[in-house]
Amino acid sequence: MTYNDLTPTPDADSKPFWEGCRNHELLFQKCAECGEIRWPPGILCPRCHSQEVEMVQSGGKGTIYSYVIYHQPFHPEFADKVPYVVAIVELEEGPMLITNIVECPHESLACDMPVQVHWDDVSEECTLPKFRPA
Amino acid sequence: MLDAGICNYVVITYGHSALWGGGMAQMLFQMTRNEAAFGHFGAVGGYALAARRAMHEFGTGPGTWQRIASGQRKWAALNPISVMGKKPLAEEDYFKAPMAADPFRLVDICLVSDGGRAIIVTSAERARDLRQPAVLISGMGQQNPSREIGQARYMAGPTGAKKAGKEALQMADVSLKDVDACQIYDCFSYTVEITLQDYGFFGPGEGGDWLKGGTIEPGGSMPVNTSGGQLSEAYFMGLTPIAEAVMQLRGQCGDRQLGPQTQTKPPEVILASDNGGILQSHACFVLKKG
Ligand SMILES: [Zn+2]
Repeated sequence: MTYNDLTPTPDADSKPFWEGCRNHELLFQKCAECGEIRWPPGILCPRCHSQEVEMVQSGGKGTIYSYVIYHQPFHPEFADKVPYVVAIVELEEGPMLITNIVECPHESLACDMPVQVHWDDVSEECTLPKFRPA
Repeated sequence: MLDAGICNYVVITYGHSALWGGGMAQMLFQMTRNEAAFGHFGAVGGYALAARRAMHEFGTGPGTWQRIASGQRKWAALNPISVMGKKPLAEEDYFKAPMAADPFRLVDICLVSDGGRAIIVTSAERARDLRQPAVLISGMGQQNPSREIGQARYMAGPTGAKKAGKEALQMADVSLKDVDACQIYDCFSYTVEITLQDYGFFGPGEGGDWLKGGTIEPGGSMPVNTSGGQLSEAYFMGLTPIAEAVMQLRGQCGDRQLGPQTQTKPPEVILASDNGGILQSHACFVLKKG
Protein backbone atom coordinates (compact mmCIF):
# COMPACT_ATOMS: atom_id res chain seq x y z
CA MET A 1 0.00 0.00 0.00
CA THR A 2 1.30 3.44 -0.82
CA TYR A 3 -0.13 6.05 1.45
CA ASN A 4 -0.14 8.95 -0.97
CA ASP A 5 -1.30 7.31 -4.18
CA LEU A 6 -5.03 7.50 -3.76
CA THR A 7 -6.20 6.40 -7.18
CA PRO A 8 -7.97 3.03 -7.20
CA THR A 9 -5.85 -0.08 -7.67
CA PRO A 10 -8.08 -2.40 -9.70
CA ASP A 11 -7.94 -6.13 -9.04
CA ALA A 12 -9.15 -8.95 -11.27
CA ASP A 13 -12.74 -8.40 -10.10
CA SER A 14 -12.86 -4.60 -10.34
CA LYS A 15 -10.76 -4.14 -13.51
CA PRO A 16 -13.74 -4.14 -15.93
CA PHE A 17 -15.45 -1.44 -13.84
CA TRP A 18 -12.42 0.90 -13.82
CA GLU A 19 -11.70 0.26 -17.51
CA GLY A 20 -15.32 1.12 -18.23
CA CYS A 21 -14.91 4.39 -16.33
CA ARG A 22 -12.06 5.40 -18.65
CA ASN A 23 -14.57 5.05 -21.52
CA HIS A 24 -17.20 6.94 -19.50
CA GLU A 25 -19.27 3.80 -19.04
CA LEU A 26 -20.57 2.50 -15.69
CA LEU A 27 -20.27 -1.28 -16.06
CA PHE A 28 -21.58 -3.72 -13.48
CA GLN A 29 -21.68 -7.46 -13.14
CA LYS A 30 -25.14 -8.95 -13.58
CA CYS A 31 -25.77 -12.50 -12.43
CA ALA A 32 -26.75 -14.56 -15.50
CA GLU A 33 -28.80 -16.91 -13.30
CA CYS A 34 -30.92 -14.63 -11.10
CA GLY A 35 -30.38 -11.19 -12.62
CA GLU A 36 -28.88 -9.54 -9.50
CA ILE A 37 -26.74 -6.52 -10.44
CA ARG A 38 -23.96 -6.49 -7.89
CA TRP A 39 -21.45 -4.12 -6.33
CA PRO A 40 -18.70 -4.50 -5.29
CA PRO A 41 -17.71 -6.94 -8.04
CA GLY A 42 -16.82 -10.52 -7.14
CA ILE A 43 -16.65 -14.07 -8.43
CA LEU A 44 -19.94 -15.23 -6.88
CA CYS A 45 -23.47 -13.85 -6.91
CA PRO A 46 -24.21 -12.90 -3.28
CA ARG A 47 -27.86 -13.89 -3.83
CA CYS A 48 -27.68 -17.28 -5.60
CA HIS A 49 -23.92 -18.12 -5.62
CA SER A 50 -23.83 -18.54 -9.39
CA GLN A 51 -20.53 -17.75 -11.11
CA GLU A 52 -22.19 -17.01 -14.45
CA VAL A 53 -21.99 -13.32 -15.13
CA GLU A 54 -22.67 -10.77 -17.86
CA MET A 55 -21.79 -7.06 -17.90
CA VAL A 56 -24.49 -4.40 -18.02
CA GLN A 57 -24.15 -0.65 -18.39
CA SER A 58 -25.87 1.67 -15.96
CA GLY A 59 -27.71 4.71 -17.25
CA GLY A 60 -25.83 6.73 -14.59
CA LYS A 61 -28.97 7.97 -12.83
CA GLY A 62 -29.67 7.55 -9.15
CA THR A 63 -30.42 9.23 -5.82
CA ILE A 64 -28.31 10.32 -2.86
CA TYR A 65 -28.78 7.73 -0.09
CA SER A 66 -26.61 9.70 2.33
CA TYR A 67 -23.83 12.30 2.26
CA VAL A 68 -21.17 13.90 4.40
CA ILE A 69 -19.43 17.24 3.94
CA TYR A 70 -15.73 16.93 4.81
CA HIS A 71 -14.49 20.12 6.49
CA GLN A 72 -11.27 18.57 7.81
CA PRO A 73 -8.83 16.98 5.37
CA PHE A 74 -8.03 13.50 6.64
CA HIS A 75 -5.19 13.24 4.10
CA PRO A 76 -2.74 15.85 2.74
CA GLU A 77 -4.02 15.22 -0.82
CA PHE A 78 -7.33 16.77 0.19
CA ALA A 79 -6.00 19.76 2.14
CA ASP A 80 -6.93 22.25 -0.59
CA LYS A 81 -10.23 20.53 -1.47
CA VAL A 82 -12.25 21.04 1.73
CA PRO A 83 -15.14 21.45 2.07
CA TYR A 84 -16.14 18.65 -0.30
CA VAL A 85 -18.97 16.15 -0.44
CA VAL A 86 -18.76 12.36 -0.19
CA ALA A 87 -22.02 10.54 -0.82
CA ILE A 88 -23.53 7.12 -1.23
CA VAL A 89 -25.42 7.19 -4.52
CA GLU A 90 -28.01 4.48 -5.11
CA LEU A 91 -28.20 3.83 -8.84
CA GLU A 92 -31.51 3.03 -10.52
CA GLU A 93 -30.07 -0.40 -11.38
CA GLY A 94 -29.39 -1.16 -7.69
CA PRO A 95 -25.68 -0.73 -6.86
CA MET A 96 -24.74 1.84 -4.23
CA LEU A 97 -21.51 3.74 -4.92
CA ILE A 98 -19.38 5.82 -2.58
CA THR A 99 -18.58 8.88 -4.66
CA ASN A 100 -18.43 12.70 -4.72
CA ILE A 101 -21.26 15.12 -5.42
CA VAL A 102 -20.03 18.04 -7.52
CA GLU A 103 -21.62 21.13 -9.05
CA CYS A 104 -24.13 21.37 -6.21
CA PRO A 105 -24.38 24.09 -3.54
CA HIS A 106 -23.99 22.36 -0.18
CA GLU A 107 -27.17 23.90 1.21
CA SER A 108 -29.27 22.22 -1.49
CA LEU A 109 -27.93 18.72 -0.79
CA ALA A 110 -30.54 16.27 0.49
CA CYS A 111 -30.99 12.54 0.96
CA ASP A 112 -33.05 10.98 -1.86
CA MET A 113 -32.13 13.86 -4.22
CA PRO A 114 -31.87 12.75 -7.89
CA VAL A 115 -28.35 12.82 -9.35
CA GLN A 116 -26.57 11.73 -12.51
CA VAL A 117 -23.04 10.62 -13.28
CA HIS A 118 -20.41 13.28 -13.96
CA TRP A 119 -17.09 11.92 -15.28
CA ASP A 120 -13.87 13.30 -13.81
CA ASP A 121 -10.78 12.36 -15.86
CA VAL A 122 -8.28 12.76 -13.04
CA SER A 123 -5.34 11.33 -15.05
CA GLU A 124 -4.64 9.49 -18.29
CA GLU A 125 -5.07 6.20 -16.46
CA CYS A 126 -7.96 7.00 -14.18
CA THR A 127 -11.45 8.42 -14.51
CA LEU A 128 -13.62 8.73 -11.41
CA PRO A 129 -17.42 8.46 -11.59
CA LYS A 130 -18.71 11.47 -9.66
CA PHE A 131 -22.29 12.74 -9.54
CA ARG A 132 -24.15 16.04 -9.90
CA PRO A 133 -27.79 17.08 -9.52
CA ALA A 134 -29.97 15.55 -12.25
CA MET B 1 -11.97 -21.91 28.19
CA LEU B 2 -12.78 -21.36 31.85
CA ASP B 3 -15.58 -23.94 31.78
CA ALA B 4 -13.39 -26.45 29.96
CA GLY B 5 -10.68 -26.01 32.59
CA ILE B 6 -8.07 -24.90 30.04
CA CYS B 7 -7.25 -21.93 32.22
CA ASN B 8 -8.41 -20.26 35.41
CA TYR B 9 -8.13 -16.63 34.37
CA VAL B 10 -8.46 -14.75 31.07
CA VAL B 11 -6.96 -11.28 30.82
CA ILE B 12 -8.47 -9.07 28.10
CA THR B 13 -6.27 -6.08 27.36
CA TYR B 14 -6.09 -3.06 25.13
CA GLY B 15 -3.15 -0.70 25.02
CA HIS B 16 -2.06 1.80 22.44
CA SER B 17 0.27 4.77 21.98
CA ALA B 18 -2.21 6.12 19.46
CA LEU B 19 -1.05 9.72 19.76
CA TRP B 20 2.48 8.77 18.69
CA GLY B 21 2.26 5.85 16.31
CA GLY B 22 0.58 5.80 12.91
CA GLY B 23 -1.12 2.49 13.61
CA MET B 24 -4.64 3.76 14.11
CA ALA B 25 -4.48 6.05 11.05
CA GLN B 26 -3.18 3.18 8.93
CA MET B 27 -5.93 0.84 10.10
CA LEU B 28 -8.64 3.39 9.43
CA PHE B 29 -7.10 4.21 6.05
CA GLN B 30 -7.25 0.52 5.08
CA MET B 31 -10.95 0.44 5.97
CA THR B 32 -11.75 2.80 3.12
CA ARG B 33 -8.93 2.00 0.69
CA ASN B 34 -11.25 1.80 -2.32
CA GLU B 35 -12.92 5.09 -1.52
CA ALA B 36 -9.79 7.14 -0.77
CA ALA B 37 -9.82 8.47 -4.33
CA PHE B 38 -13.03 10.29 -3.40
CA GLY B 39 -11.56 11.64 -0.16
CA HIS B 40 -13.47 9.18 2.03
CA PHE B 41 -11.39 8.05 5.00
CA GLY B 42 -11.80 5.85 8.01
CA ALA B 43 -14.58 5.70 10.53
CA VAL B 44 -15.54 9.38 10.83
CA GLY B 45 -16.93 9.61 7.30
CA GLY B 46 -18.65 6.24 7.57
CA TYR B 47 -20.47 7.05 10.80
CA ALA B 48 -21.25 10.55 9.48
CA LEU B 49 -22.99 8.90 6.50
CA ALA B 50 -24.99 6.76 8.93
CA ALA B 51 -25.89 9.76 11.09
CA ARG B 52 -27.01 11.79 8.07
CA ARG B 53 -29.29 8.98 6.91
CA ALA B 54 -30.72 8.82 10.45
CA MET B 55 -31.41 12.59 10.32
CA HIS B 56 -33.37 11.96 7.13
CA GLU B 57 -35.24 8.86 8.29
CA PHE B 58 -36.22 9.71 11.86
CA GLY B 59 -35.39 13.34 12.37
CA THR B 60 -32.42 13.24 14.72
CA GLY B 61 -29.49 15.67 14.53
CA PRO B 62 -27.03 17.87 16.41
CA GLY B 63 -29.73 18.97 18.90
CA THR B 64 -29.88 15.38 20.16
CA TRP B 65 -26.14 14.71 19.97
CA GLN B 66 -25.33 17.85 21.95
CA ARG B 67 -27.20 16.39 24.93
CA ILE B 68 -25.07 13.26 24.70
CA ALA B 69 -21.73 15.07 24.28
CA SER B 70 -22.45 17.67 27.00
CA GLY B 71 -23.91 15.05 29.36
CA GLN B 72 -20.85 12.85 29.13
CA ARG B 73 -18.61 15.87 29.62
CA LYS B 74 -20.28 16.47 32.98
CA TRP B 75 -19.30 12.96 34.06
CA ALA B 76 -15.75 13.58 32.81
CA ALA B 77 -15.53 16.61 35.10
CA LEU B 78 -15.88 14.19 38.05
CA ASN B 79 -13.15 11.87 36.73
CA PRO B 80 -9.63 13.12 37.57
CA ILE B 81 -7.95 11.04 34.85
CA SER B 82 -10.33 12.05 32.05
CA VAL B 83 -8.72 13.94 29.15
CA MET B 84 -11.49 16.52 28.72
CA GLY B 85 -12.81 16.85 32.27
CA LYS B 86 -11.45 20.35 32.87
CA LYS B 87 -13.10 21.76 29.76
CA PRO B 88 -16.85 22.33 30.17
CA LEU B 89 -19.07 21.68 27.15
CA ALA B 90 -22.21 23.79 27.49
CA GLU B 91 -24.82 23.83 24.73
CA GLU B 92 -23.31 26.93 23.10
CA ASP B 93 -19.79 25.44 23.28
CA TYR B 94 -21.05 22.38 21.41
CA PHE B 95 -22.54 24.41 18.57
CA LYS B 96 -19.41 26.59 18.35
CA ALA B 97 -17.12 23.56 17.94
CA PRO B 98 -15.54 23.21 14.49
CA MET B 99 -17.30 21.06 11.90
CA ALA B 100 -15.20 17.98 11.10
CA ALA B 101 -17.31 15.89 8.74
CA ASP B 102 -20.76 17.48 8.60
CA PRO B 103 -23.06 16.47 10.34
CA PHE B 104 -20.33 15.76 12.93
CA ARG B 105 -18.55 18.47 14.84
CA LEU B 106 -15.22 17.73 16.47
CA VAL B 107 -17.03 17.21 19.81
CA ASP B 108 -19.17 14.40 18.31
CA ILE B 109 -16.02 12.36 17.71
CA CYS B 110 -14.13 10.18 20.20
CA LEU B 111 -10.67 11.00 21.46
CA VAL B 112 -7.40 9.47 20.31
CA SER B 113 -5.59 8.32 23.43
CA ASP B 114 -2.41 6.86 24.81
CA GLY B 115 -3.05 4.28 27.48
CA GLY B 116 -4.89 1.07 28.06
CA ARG B 117 -7.37 -0.95 30.09
CA ALA B 118 -7.68 -4.58 31.08
CA ILE B 119 -10.31 -6.84 32.56
CA ILE B 120 -9.84 -10.24 34.17
CA VAL B 121 -12.45 -12.94 33.65
CA THR B 122 -12.64 -15.99 35.90
CA SER B 123 -15.32 -18.22 37.41
CA ALA B 124 -17.80 -16.62 39.80
CA GLU B 125 -16.60 -18.98 42.52
CA ARG B 126 -12.96 -17.91 42.17
CA ALA B 127 -13.91 -14.26 41.80
CA ARG B 128 -15.67 -14.33 45.17
CA ASP B 129 -12.47 -15.48 46.86
CA LEU B 130 -10.37 -12.66 45.39
CA ARG B 131 -9.49 -9.34 46.95
CA GLN B 132 -11.62 -7.24 44.59
CA PRO B 133 -15.44 -7.30 44.75
CA ALA B 134 -16.86 -9.66 42.11
CA VAL B 135 -18.92 -8.49 39.14
CA LEU B 136 -20.96 -11.10 37.27
CA ILE B 137 -21.47 -11.37 33.53
CA SER B 138 -25.15 -12.28 33.56
CA GLY B 139 -26.04 -11.79 29.92
CA MET B 140 -24.35 -11.44 26.55
CA GLY B 141 -25.62 -10.88 23.05
CA GLN B 142 -23.99 -10.27 19.74
CA GLN B 143 -25.12 -9.42 16.24
CA ASN B 144 -22.93 -8.54 13.29
CA PRO B 145 -24.72 -7.17 10.22
CA SER B 146 -21.31 -7.14 8.50
CA ARG B 147 -22.14 -5.47 5.18
CA GLU B 148 -19.84 -2.61 4.32
CA ILE B 149 -21.28 0.82 4.85
CA GLY B 150 -21.79 1.63 1.16
CA GLN B 151 -24.16 -1.33 0.79
CA ALA B 152 -25.73 -1.12 4.24
CA ARG B 153 -29.40 -0.58 5.08
CA TYR B 154 -28.92 -0.43 8.83
CA MET B 155 -27.38 3.04 9.08
CA ALA B 156 -30.47 4.52 10.71
CA GLY B 157 -31.17 1.28 12.60
CA PRO B 158 -31.99 -1.28 13.51
CA THR B 159 -28.29 -1.97 13.95
CA GLY B 160 -26.85 -5.11 15.51
CA ALA B 161 -27.70 -3.52 18.88
CA LYS B 162 -31.35 -4.49 18.57
CA LYS B 163 -30.88 -8.24 18.57
CA ALA B 164 -27.73 -8.22 20.72
CA GLY B 165 -29.45 -6.15 23.42
CA LYS B 166 -32.54 -8.34 23.46
CA GLU B 167 -30.45 -11.51 23.75
CA ALA B 168 -28.30 -10.12 26.55
CA LEU B 169 -31.32 -8.95 28.60
CA GLN B 170 -33.06 -12.31 28.08
CA MET B 171 -30.01 -14.28 29.16
CA ALA B 172 -29.70 -12.12 32.28
CA ASP B 173 -33.46 -12.40 32.87
CA VAL B 174 -33.83 -8.65 33.36
CA SER B 175 -35.69 -5.90 31.50
CA LEU B 176 -34.65 -2.33 30.71
CA LYS B 177 -36.50 -1.25 33.88
CA ASP B 178 -33.96 -3.18 35.95
CA VAL B 179 -30.98 -1.42 34.34
CA ASP B 180 -29.42 1.23 36.60
CA ALA B 181 -26.87 2.71 34.16
CA CYS B 182 -25.36 2.16 30.71
CA GLN B 183 -21.79 2.24 29.44
CA ILE B 184 -22.25 2.57 25.69
CA TYR B 185 -19.46 2.31 23.12
CA ASP B 186 -19.31 5.94 21.93
CA CYS B 187 -16.98 6.26 18.97
CA PHE B 188 -19.39 9.07 18.01
CA SER B 189 -22.24 10.80 19.79
CA TYR B 190 -24.68 9.32 17.25
CA THR B 191 -23.52 5.80 18.17
CA VAL B 192 -24.85 6.38 21.69
CA GLU B 193 -28.23 7.50 20.35
CA ILE B 194 -28.71 4.64 17.89
CA THR B 195 -27.53 2.05 20.45
CA LEU B 196 -29.90 3.26 23.22
CA GLN B 197 -32.69 3.50 20.61
CA ASP B 198 -32.09 -0.03 19.35
CA TYR B 199 -31.95 -1.34 22.94
CA GLY B 200 -35.47 0.08 23.32
CA PHE B 201 -34.99 3.01 25.72
CA PHE B 202 -36.91 5.23 23.27
CA GLY B 203 -38.47 5.08 19.81
CA PRO B 204 -36.85 6.32 16.59
CA GLY B 205 -36.46 10.08 16.76
CA GLU B 206 -37.53 10.32 20.41
CA GLY B 207 -33.95 10.45 21.69
CA GLY B 208 -33.85 14.25 21.88
CA ASP B 209 -36.84 14.32 24.24
CA TRP B 210 -35.62 11.34 26.25
CA LEU B 211 -32.27 13.05 26.83
CA LYS B 212 -33.80 16.39 27.78
CA GLY B 213 -33.28 17.58 31.35
CA GLY B 214 -30.10 15.63 31.97
CA THR B 215 -31.36 12.02 31.80
CA ILE B 216 -27.85 10.61 31.29
CA GLU B 217 -25.99 13.13 33.48
CA PRO B 218 -25.07 13.14 37.18
CA GLY B 219 -28.43 13.28 38.97
CA GLY B 220 -30.21 11.75 35.98
CA SER B 221 -32.49 8.73 35.84
CA MET B 222 -30.32 6.71 33.40
CA PRO B 223 -26.63 7.59 33.75
CA VAL B 224 -24.65 6.88 30.56
CA ASN B 225 -20.87 6.75 30.12
CA THR B 226 -20.07 7.77 33.65
CA SER B 227 -16.30 8.10 33.12
CA GLY B 228 -16.89 10.63 30.35
CA GLY B 229 -16.71 7.79 27.83
CA GLN B 230 -14.60 7.77 24.71
CA LEU B 231 -15.87 11.23 23.84
CA SER B 232 -14.48 12.79 27.03
CA GLU B 233 -12.44 10.33 29.12
CA ALA B 234 -10.21 8.32 26.74
CA TYR B 235 -10.51 5.92 23.82
CA PHE B 236 -9.58 2.32 24.59
CA MET B 237 -12.00 0.61 22.20
CA GLY B 238 -14.55 -1.66 23.94
CA LEU B 239 -12.49 -1.63 27.14
CA THR B 240 -13.50 1.94 28.07
CA PRO B 241 -17.19 1.08 28.59
CA ILE B 242 -16.80 -2.38 30.09
CA ALA B 243 -14.04 -1.37 32.54
CA GLU B 244 -16.18 1.55 33.74
CA ALA B 245 -19.16 -0.78 34.23
CA VAL B 246 -17.05 -3.12 36.36
CA MET B 247 -15.53 -0.32 38.45
CA GLN B 248 -18.96 1.26 39.07
CA LEU B 249 -20.44 -2.06 40.23
CA ARG B 250 -17.47 -2.48 42.58
CA GLY B 251 -18.09 0.98 44.01
CA GLN B 252 -14.57 2.20 43.13
CA CYS B 253 -15.32 5.30 41.07
CA GLY B 254 -14.56 8.10 43.52
CA ASP B 255 -16.34 11.40 42.85
CA ARG B 256 -18.30 9.96 39.93
CA GLN B 257 -19.51 6.88 41.85
CA LEU B 258 -23.14 6.07 41.08
CA GLY B 259 -25.29 6.27 44.19
CA PRO B 260 -26.22 9.00 46.68
CA GLN B 261 -23.15 11.18 46.01
CA THR B 262 -24.13 11.68 42.34
CA GLN B 263 -27.89 11.59 43.07
CA THR B 264 -28.27 8.39 41.06
CA LYS B 265 -29.39 4.84 41.80
CA PRO B 266 -26.77 2.68 43.52
CA PRO B 267 -25.96 0.28 40.66
CA GLU B 268 -26.96 -3.37 40.71
CA VAL B 269 -27.29 -3.91 36.94
CA ILE B 270 -25.28 -2.11 34.22
CA LEU B 271 -25.60 -2.54 30.45
CA ALA B 272 -22.36 -2.22 28.46
CA SER B 273 -21.85 -2.25 24.70
CA ASP B 274 -19.17 -2.52 22.04
CA ASN B 275 -19.20 -1.87 18.28
CA GLY B 276 -16.92 -2.78 15.41
CA GLY B 277 -16.40 -1.44 11.91
CA ILE B 278 -19.02 1.05 10.79
CA LEU B 279 -21.91 -0.33 12.86
CA GLN B 280 -20.95 -3.72 11.40
CA SER B 281 -20.70 -5.64 14.64
CA HIS B 282 -22.27 -5.19 18.04
CA ALA B 283 -21.89 -6.83 21.44
CA CYS B 284 -23.96 -6.19 24.57
CA PHE B 285 -23.25 -7.27 28.14
CA VAL B 286 -25.43 -7.24 31.21
CA LEU B 287 -23.20 -6.98 34.29
CA LYS B 288 -24.45 -7.45 37.85
CA LYS B 289 -23.02 -6.79 41.26
CA GLY B 290 -21.57 -10.12 42.40
ZN1 LIG C 1 -27.58 -14.72 -8.80
